[in-house]
Amino acid sequence: MALGGTIRGKKTTLRLPVAADLARFNDWMADLRVRRAHPPWFEPAMPATWKERFAEIAKEPRRVLWSIESDGRLVGLAVGRVWDSGVGLEVRQLVIDPSEWRRGYGADAALALHRYAFDYLDLRRTDLVLHADNVAALRIAERLGYAEYARGRDVYYRDGAYVDQVQLVMDKETWQERWGATEREYASFAPEAFR
Amino acid sequence: MLGPRLEGRNGVALVPPTLEHFRLHPAWEVQPEASRFMGPRFGELTPEKQEKRFKETADGQTQIQWTIAYEGEPVGFTGIFHIDWVRRDGETGLFIGRHDLYGRGIASEAVRLRTSFAWRELRLRRVHNWVALANRGSRRANEKVGYRRMGLLPRSYFRSGEWYDEWLGEAFANTFPTDDLTARLDVPQRGSGDESQHAGE
Repeated sequence: MALGGTIRGKKTTLRLPVAADLARFNDWMADLRVRRAHPPWFEPAMPATWKERFAEIAKEPRRVLWSIESDGRLVGLAVGRVWDSGVGLEVRQLVIDPSEWRRGYGADAALALHRYAFDYLDLRRTDLVLHADNVAALRIAERLGYAEYARGRDVYYRDGAYVDQVQLVMDKETWQERWGATEREYASFAPEAFR
Repeated sequence: MLGPRLEGRNGVALVPPTLEHFRLHPAWEVQPEASRFMGPRFGELTPEKQEKRFKETADGQTQIQWTIAYEGEPVGFTGIFHIDWVRRDGETGLFIGRHDLYGRGIASEAVRLRTSFAWRELRLRRVHNWVALANRGSRRANEKVGYRRMGLLPRSYFRSGEWYDEWLGEAFANTFPTDDLTARLDVPQRGSGDESQHAGE
């Protein structure tokens, strides 16, 4: 997994992860509120194991890890995987610290990440997989422009019951239609710049 | 993990892969006939990399892979990958490298053996996969043993000026044909000299 660089949202910033973030990552992976909402990224582990994971993460070319912060505080993490074909990005994790939920950080970070995927990396589509009862994440995905294309039956088991899996995809055309006019990584250069 | 030998019908068997089998994969994967819905037909396709892949496959605890044999010859491979032992769910895949043998029901029999093993021996509760919608033979092979469509990813492949959708399927033990589930997998008989020396015999 590669380490991702800065992507600025309005409330949050996706930034280069550092080793000092690992203890918080571990806390989140051990938090049942997070595990209920998402399949865990990694299982909780000793600090030495997280250091090994972090070293491996940096080497992998197609998977990218970001830390998410707001006002200088670490509030989450994001993991994306560029498809083998190179034309898409799977958003594998977007975890927000449960103590920071309902402040709009997830929606803001998701919008910034998708702007980076479509407006900077020039990808053709993005996809993600969610628990069918993760209402907050589904609402964010729907607002971004995702459409459901598959539903797996009884895929996850937690809290004594099965829950379905929802698979969603968004094309660049949808992004452009919905966000292209307002979400850009960079403003256009003035014509003088090309003289 | 390398899967155990499973004898099937019509000359088809799933057998534990060997390094020699793995060394056949690159030659299969680069053929246009076999890679219409795979890709990208390039990669680190060296003998050294295949040896590494073989070792990783054998060591892996979240996958089980077989070589598909037809009349004693290796002709492809299949397996269950990304197995989640807590959720008892896995992703399945199959590749017939010998395109001159398409249409003989090899994939159907391999899928039947693999799926039966998933329910009867691994005690999985769900398997799922992705198949190009236009790859009717592969889709039918899965449907025959209980896979049902759970979705369709539009415009998944672009080949020769056309977009192709991808079919997503899932199967559960209770969607497997009853007559196949009650028919035991063929195993060596006691006294045949083929059985292992352990396993409480």
